[in-house]
Amino acid sequence: MTELLAFIASHRAEMATRLGEHVVLVAASTAIAAAIGIPLGIVAARRPGLSRPIVGFANLAQTIPSLALFGFLIPLPLIGGIGTRTALVALAVYAVLPILRATITGLQGVPPAVMECAVAMGLTPRQVLRQVEWPLALPAIVSGLRVAVVIGVGTATIASAIGAGGLGDYIFRGLAMVDATVILAGALPAALLALAADAALAAAGHLADPRRRSRRHVVVLGVVTFVAVMTAISGRATSGRADLIVGSKNFTEQVVLGELMAQAIERQAGLTVERRLNLGGTAIAHEALLRGGIDVYAEYTGTSLTAIFKQPPSADSEQVYATVRDRYASVGLTLLPQLGFNNTFAILVRGEDARRLGMKTVSDLAGQLRLKPEATQQATEQATPKATSAWRAGFGYEFLERLDGFKGLSAAYGLAFGDAPRVMDLNLIYRALAAGEIDVTAGDATSGLIGALGLAVLEDDRHYFPVYDAAPVARASTMLQYPAAAAALRSLAGRVSAADMRQMNFAVDGEKQDPAVVVRGFLDRIGGF
Amino acid sequence: MAHPAVQFVDVSVSRGERGVLHGVSLSVAAGQTLALVGRSGSGKTTLLRLVNRLLDPDRGEVLVEGLSTRAWNAVELRRRTGYVIQDAGLFPHVTVAGNIATVPRLLEWPAARVEARVDELLTLVGLDPAVFRGRWPDELSGGQRQRAGLARALAADPPLLLMDEPFGALDPITKAELHVEFQRLQRTLNRAIILVTHDMAEACVLADQIAVLHEGELIACDTPARVIVSNDHRVTSLFGELRLKPEATPRGRE
Repeated sequence: MTELLAFIASHRAEMATRLGEHVVLVAASTAIAAAIGIPLGIVAARRPGLSRPIVGFANLAQTIPSLALFGFLIPLPLIGGIGTRTALVALAVYAVLPILRATITGLQGVPPAVMECAVAMGLTPRQVLRQVEWPLALPAIVSGLRVAVVIGVGTATIASAIGAGGLGDYIFRGLAMVDATVILAGALPAALLALAADAALAAAGHLADPRRRSRRHVVVLGVVTFVAVMTAISGRATSGRADLIVGSKNFTEQVVLGELMAQAIERQAGLTVERRLNLGGTAIAHEALLRGGIDVYAEYTGTSLTAIFKQPPSADSEQVYATVRDRYASVGLTLLPQLGFNNTFAILVRGEDARRLGMKTVSDLAGQLRLKPEATQQATEQATPKATSAWRAGFGYEFLERLDGFKGLSAAYGLAFGDAPRVMDLNLIYRALAAGEIDVTAGDATSGLIGALGLAVLEDDRHYFPVYDAAPVARASTMLQYPAAAAALRSLAGRVSAADMRQMNFAVDGEKQDPAVVVRGFLDRIGGF
Repeated sequence: MAHPAVQFVDVSVSRGERGVLHGVSLSVAAGQTLALVGRSGSGKTTLLRLVNRLLDPDRGEVLVEGLSTRAWNAVELRRRTGYVIQDAGLFPHVTVAGNIATVPRLLEWPAARVEARVDELLTLVGLDPAVFRGRWPDELSGGQRQRAGLARALAADPPLLLMDEPFGALDPITKAELHVEFQRLQRTLNRAIILVTHDMAEACVLADQIAVLHEGELIACDTPARVIVSNDHRVTSLFGELRLKPEATPRGRE
């Protein structure tokens, strides 16, 4: 709890921004949903024949998992893409159903005798709606709005994945860092926001009921609305002040690199930088960059080549860099110089095995595998007495399936394991290797666990694995506008080694340090910023 | 020569929600009270709803003040036709005063006139304005609701009043009280009233003319004094316990 309070205290300004974004997302999407759901509900309530398909469609929309819905929306023109607009569309889709249902229920709940009298007294259909049906259905509609808002506050946390900001930023950041405090920093305010919004609408509901209209409710509603509007305004104002926006994808290394570029620009160029970290993935980050939702993020050249530009992977670092740089240039983006490390697959063994057997490269490992099982056993029994007669491999599912994974690797080096490799969860392979359950695995070259668990990376001496050199990608127009920012990013060229990256990843993941603090220490150490 | 207030000319309804009608012809003179009597499903409510165009006849026509209901603007027709139903159908979200003021406000009467009219009507139906103006419908007893519903129907001084089982849901004492009120109002207001009831005793006490409906057909239409001596078993079966009630004195103006 004290950690949480400390976190909130140290992130006050950012938190106000995120809270403001969250309030705007929920308020605007609920308003859109009400503008659609209420008229639709009125139509559906009058024509039972239409009611079933309308409610059925809204039901269906409600069942789409939120991330999938964002996924569907991203490629669409006008309502799609990345950022607040897409998030609003998705949130509105979810909010329509409760509002629609409540409207239908409310209207159908008007007593038939009352309706008959209203018509018989000579009210026109419009007057019946305004003077009789609407006021009588309003309490039900307000309760539908309350449901929609509470759902919306929760769902809006996912909007962070497509760069719409909001309190979800903390939740995704916390998940990436496996840090409960950061998750709570997003979840707790979100929960409080949901309660406050619910209370505000309850007060509004009382206002709608002429018999319970009271001063107290006016005050409650007024205060809550005022606070919400002020938060939203202050949030907007804060986000409007930054010179440029740094983004990142949603895993620890990306958050660290985002922070690194942000601090480098702040320290060297003296510009204000907004951080929009934890975007949902490569496609989302790229889209955000193209549309100006962010100005720069760190990408891996191999990822750009294959995932963005749909080219076959390559292990030629220079060639990949040149290809990707030209492709980026053609869409108005600038690829800045590589940061200095290659986040590719790494073949890992235990450090003591590598030292004892003198293995430095994957070819050395292939040589060990070609030895007879008896010899292997003899050689290894001292260090790993539990080892069976052969080297045992374990890989993540993706590595086993990918063409540029295990199959190609074993062909390139002539690797032959006695038993078929075990399929393991990616998060477990490092610990399984350290614990001696497997002897060889393919991991992430910059995983913080490599150093922490005393594992050894075998060099890919035949250059089998494609390169994934990390480099900042920026909007060309932003770089022209702020040459000092471009210079700061350039001065990071070659400054971050794989070992540096592993160490920073471990500081965040393993030691639960704040990425900002870790990066500050790193920049202080390497100097020049 | 004045037209009858309402005239049904060979009216048929083949698909009424509450019963069908076969070629009913009937008229109500201004200042008269007509009771429509019959078992449920006999078509009496369907007949009533033709008058203010809640329904249109499939065949024949209904003339209000000599003009076919189809020729009337429905909204205008309804605003000059009072309508009272069982349990009153008061708007639950509006006070008693607000309910009564509904039609005058639709007609855009000046506020002061509306206020005065509400007080006048409350007094007329026996509710103290000081007490009942601000009451909500669910704060009223069944009899008070019925009185408020009647006041609302009379608000814009309509020449015609339609009442569908207005006393149906009341306990016998309240019902008797309201019958007395109703008779007083008839004398004061002197307008055409069509009253639907399944209670022949009520019809005999309150109406000038009784129309008996049986399975959508008009089988008798006469003064209470004559209807009560009918030999038609379909009519006599409706009397039920009526003849055991000494206080029910048939009215007749012969």
